[in-house]
Amino acid sequence: MSILSKDSPGKKALFMGNEAIARGAIEAGVQVCAAYPGNPSSEIIGSLSQVGEELGIYVEWSVNEKVALEVATAASFAGLRGLTAMKQNGLNVASDFLFNLNLTGSKGGLVVVVCDDPSALSSTNEEDSRLYAKMCDLPLLEPSTVQEAQKMTRFAFDLSEELGLPCLIRSVTRLSHARGNAELGHIPKNRPHPRFDTSRPIIPQPVMENHKALHDKIRKCQDRFEESAFNLYRGPESPELLVVTCGPGWMYVREALVNMGVENRVGIVKLGTTWPLPRYFLIEHLKKANRILFVEEVDPFLENNIKEFCAERAVELGVKTFLGKASGNLPDIGEINPDIVTGAIQQILEVAYEPRSLQYAQEAAEAASLFAPLRELGFCAGCPHRATYWSVKNALAMDGRDGIVLGDIGCYTLGVRAAGFGQMKTCHAMGSGVGLANGFGQLERFGLNQPVLTVCGDSTFYHAAIPALVNARYNRSNFLMLILDNSATAMTGFQPHPGTGRTAMGAEAPVVDIEALCKALGAQVEVKNPFDVQDTTEAICELLQDREGIKVLILRQECALVRVKRQKALYKVQVNQERCFGQECGCNRLCTRIFRCPGLVGDPVTGKAQIDEAICTGCGTCADICPQSAILKETI
Amino acid sequence: MALEKDPWNIIITGVGGQGNVLASQILGQMLVQQGYIITIGETYGASQRGGSVMSHIRVSQRDQFSPLIPEGKCDLVVGLEPVEALRVLANYGNPGVLMLINTRPIYPMDVIAGNVSYPELSVVLKKIQRLSRRVWTLNATEIGLELGDPIFSNIVMLGALSALDLLPLHREEFQNAIQELLPSHKLQLNMEAFDRGRKAVQELPL
Amino acid sequence: MENRGSQALESCVIQKDLCTFCGACLSLCPYLQSWKGKLVKLDNCDLAEGRCFAYCPRTQVDLETIHQEVFGQSYLNIEMGLFKQVKMVRASALSLRQKAQTAGVVSALMEFALKEGFIHGAVLTHRTPDHLPHGRVIRHPDEIFSCAGSSYVASPTLQVLNQGPWEDTERIGVVGTPCQVLAMRKMSVSSLKRTTLIDRVTLIIGLFCTWALTYEPFMKYLKNRVNGALIRKLDITPPPERLLKVITGDDHMWDVPLDEIRPFIRTTCGICLDMTSELSDLSVGTVEGIQGWSTVIIRSDLGEEIMSRAEAAGIVESQPLPEENFKHLREASLLKKKRALLTLKERGELEDGYISLSHELIGRILSEAKEAGS
Repeated sequence: MSILSKDSPGKKALFMGNEAIARGAIEAGVQVCAAYPGNPSSEIIGSLSQVGEELGIYVEWSVNEKVALEVATAASFAGLRGLTAMKQNGLNVASDFLFNLNLTGSKGGLVVVVCDDPSALSSTNEEDSRLYAKMCDLPLLEPSTVQEAQKMTRFAFDLSEELGLPCLIRSVTRLSHARGNAELGHIPKNRPHPRFDTSRPIIPQPVMENHKALHDKIRKCQDRFEESAFNLYRGPESPELLVVTCGPGWMYVREALVNMGVENRVGIVKLGTTWPLPRYFLIEHLKKANRILFVEEVDPFLENNIKEFCAERAVELGVKTFLGKASGNLPDIGEINPDIVTGAIQQILEVAYEPRSLQYAQEAAEAASLFAPLRELGFCAGCPHRATYWSVKNALAMDGRDGIVLGDIGCYTLGVRAAGFGQMKTCHAMGSGVGLANGFGQLERFGLNQPVLTVCGDSTFYHAAIPALVNARYNRSNFLMLILDNSATAMTGFQPHPGTGRTAMGAEAPVVDIEALCKALGAQVEVKNPFDVQDTTEAICELLQDREGIKVLILRQECALVRVKRQKALYKVQVNQERCFGQECGCNRLCTRIFRCPGLVGDPVTGKAQIDEAICTGCGTCADICPQSAILKETI
Repeated sequence: MALEKDPWNIIITGVGGQGNVLASQILGQMLVQQGYIITIGETYGASQRGGSVMSHIRVSQRDQFSPLIPEGKCDLVVGLEPVEALRVLANYGNPGVLMLINTRPIYPMDVIAGNVSYPELSVVLKKIQRLSRRVWTLNATEIGLELGDPIFSNIVMLGALSALDLLPLHREEFQNAIQELLPSHKLQLNMEAFDRGRKAVQELPL
Repeated sequence: MENRGSQALESCVIQKDLCTFCGACLSLCPYLQSWKGKLVKLDNCDLAEGRCFAYCPRTQVDLETIHQEVFGQSYLNIEMGLFKQVKMVRASALSLRQKAQTAGVVSALMEFALKEGFIHGAVLTHRTPDHLPHGRVIRHPDEIFSCAGSSYVASPTLQVLNQGPWEDTERIGVVGTPCQVLAMRKMSVSSLKRTTLIDRVTLIIGLFCTWALTYEPFMKYLKNRVNGALIRKLDITPPPERLLKVITGDDHMWDVPLDEIRPFIRTTCGICLDMTSELSDLSVGTVEGIQGWSTVIIRSDLGEEIMSRAEAAGIVESQPLPEENFKHLREASLLKKKRALLTLKERGELEDGYISLSHELIGRILSEAKEAGS
């Protein structure tokens, strides 16, 4: 039995931040949970899906974040508690609904967790979702520790019900994926029955009245936040410097002060309720110092809002010196860490602090740069995307018209790099590849001679590609769409989706057939196995000749990581060292230099290839591309 | 067991797919069970596709520390891969750091492609030796392969770590953690991997 | 001669539009391929030295060295290369001539060579129903005629020579254009050759050639020209008519003036010095003004042997070539050389270009060549 579902109040355990949020929701009596996978948020609904059945909670992977929010909201409208979680981009997708939901309000507790990815460690962009709270006039909570994440989630449901508004919780990678000690609370037994009151329509109109009502609710929330234990002050009564922080910044600042020995010089205002701002709490503590340093990621959200606040209260608070992103004391991009914070405070207070000798630091940095080669991201051994891009590369070379490959989000986004032979040329939001293809596919009338292709994963297809395909059919755009169907939402952790035949909770699910869907949309559809490189290349070449309408080529092959869990390998693969040309004319290391599968290692002297058994997953593609037929594949 | 210093900071580092995250989770679980306050900071996601992976583990008896170790404050590096072990020293190393290293390299794509050469292992270890207090090495991947899957190398390393007696990481706690975290049919092989790791360290010359 | 690699091939030949599409560089490696009548580069090869550069008929052609290697003599016969005899020849059997739709000489000789065991495999040029030419390996004498007839479009025939697959003991015969013959002779003298393959090419029949067309633009134009009708047969009539006769599926005959298709002549043909395949064992071409017969230039010992045995076996019959024709042949061949040298000069490539000839030879060619009619 998972720790997540244990009904043992007081038990201490190590939780991931996301798991703590999930646990908090469980302890708040959540009944409906929906999400689309997105790093760093996936484990919230992911972990709930593991215990949903046991605890009598409905958990689903929705096709996109807007639908997920709507699913959770339906529960709320019916008087149940609902939860949705997403990464920063997901909130963009869900925002249209959110901007109506704030006006209609919610009923049962509804919590929207957004997990930002500062520094875009696993994202296409960097974004600060907190601004949505201000735009939508919704309460926002930011946990600083794993335990706090759990407590805040519980509280968020109560707050949401009290106000009749969804409550936003904002986490970041360093909290969501961190593990820390947390104590289990109580799992409630009684839960309400759903009922939607049809005598009271839930609509944003009349908008002006509801907008005003929204502002009243937010003011009420502000009062509630004054008492919140999530906001606190630590430090001397008259610090030289006041640091205002939230999220993991709280822990970075505390540790920085201890390491530098300046705890008696610096006070920390930790805010857990970051919108709306708790006015009186702030006034009380902002009075303590004239220099205020804001430590937060990514945008100067607290910084700007508190500056605004200080301007309003200038008479009471006096003149302040604001330090943070605007002043250049902290970077205005990327995530923060203990060293960035230390550096900022060190500079402001003019503290002499050296965590280690400069000489050691230089020596270590030099050794690492000289002897630790960088690791380029690439496709796993046996990944069907490598084979797909190989075919795309060859087909486009053969076609000779400088074809454009528009891309989308997933593991295959690595197609922009050497791993995918640099084939992918654009990448934006979910479904943008097909969207752009629609546009490019209309430019022939102006003289565009370049064929248009777009690559799209199976999960991405269900998320966002369908409306664009309808558009393409209706407006007669001309392009070739490659659907890379590896039966997985791989990049985020192999969550099931409408093509995999399983639900989040493990039940059998009808498969929404991509091929049938595309055919019904009037596309010309073909299905191939990307491991048949020759066949796939020729198919792409041929389809590119067609100048009319949408062509869909579904390249179906299981993700290597999924396949390997079930069966070790499709083939036993070996390189015949006599036949291998290595770096000689006739090969020049095609497989190790260009194909670049981590399962193939090149001898640094002869350039000959060898299979690395520890890594090879036996897909056999290298055997098919070897120009000297030196790689042999044996069916197992 | 009282800590040499509080917090005591460990970095488990390796290449995406080596089981770095699981290893840190097991380690954390073993210590939490014994009353320690643990914070683990992970960097994963896209880095799983062949990139470097790092887990920062803060072990304390007094407070919950941040998921990122400050510059120069690492006390122990468990390197699942040799150059990754060297790489983390650039930011987190100091003359007193201890190093436990798996010597089997995982070649970065650029090395496999023949664009860059992978450094000589002896050179890497020598550099690490200069930048640390003490170094223990073993070929954990080979042991993993003997047990049937190179993925066991991370568990072998945990076994090795337990034999160093730097923290209370006994067989019993490991077994509890494994039973808590993994399906039951995986228990036996994992215990074997753990024991082999312990043995490998015990057989190292003093 | 300095060995260089594929990047030099790209910059010196491909990007300068000098590729003859002979196929010598194709299927040696995974980087250069042919597709629908085009040379395709699939990936970059960064080797400093490569067979592609070494075998290419448009890189570093030292005629003196090659001539010595092939014939054991200096390159002196600037008119139409070294030869033992020149005759007028045709396939003896009428049925054979009808099948081949020409004098049938090349087909007859190749069939004979296969039957008699001179060669085990023949590398010939085949055309798809869509007139795309490509190489084909024929091991059965009966299949020879699938490759009969002229292609006016450049064919990467040597690709299939490279590809094989060949047994270690097989002897090979190749029918090629002058640039293809040159490429094969370069293969023989190259220090980079890996196998005995080229040494087992024991019979080379070269064709006369004045120029070749590039497939895609030519076919696109032609299809449009015949209003999309199915193109069954192409035939270029000899001077003075100078027409491309196109027979379409509805049995309609179209007369397309040659000037209309000149834009599709490969640029590289303008710098070719070889009209009569001077480096082959036997060269075969038309006879001006005489239908149904071919001019055959016998150059090597083997060429002579095959010719005499074929004649003795009654496979082919010959006559002396009329003096007038022989004169015109020499003049035309020399004129092509002169025009090529002048084109090279215009391009600034006479000195450091692909072909190295002594000043003396260049001078003789330029002074001795006569324009048609003079």
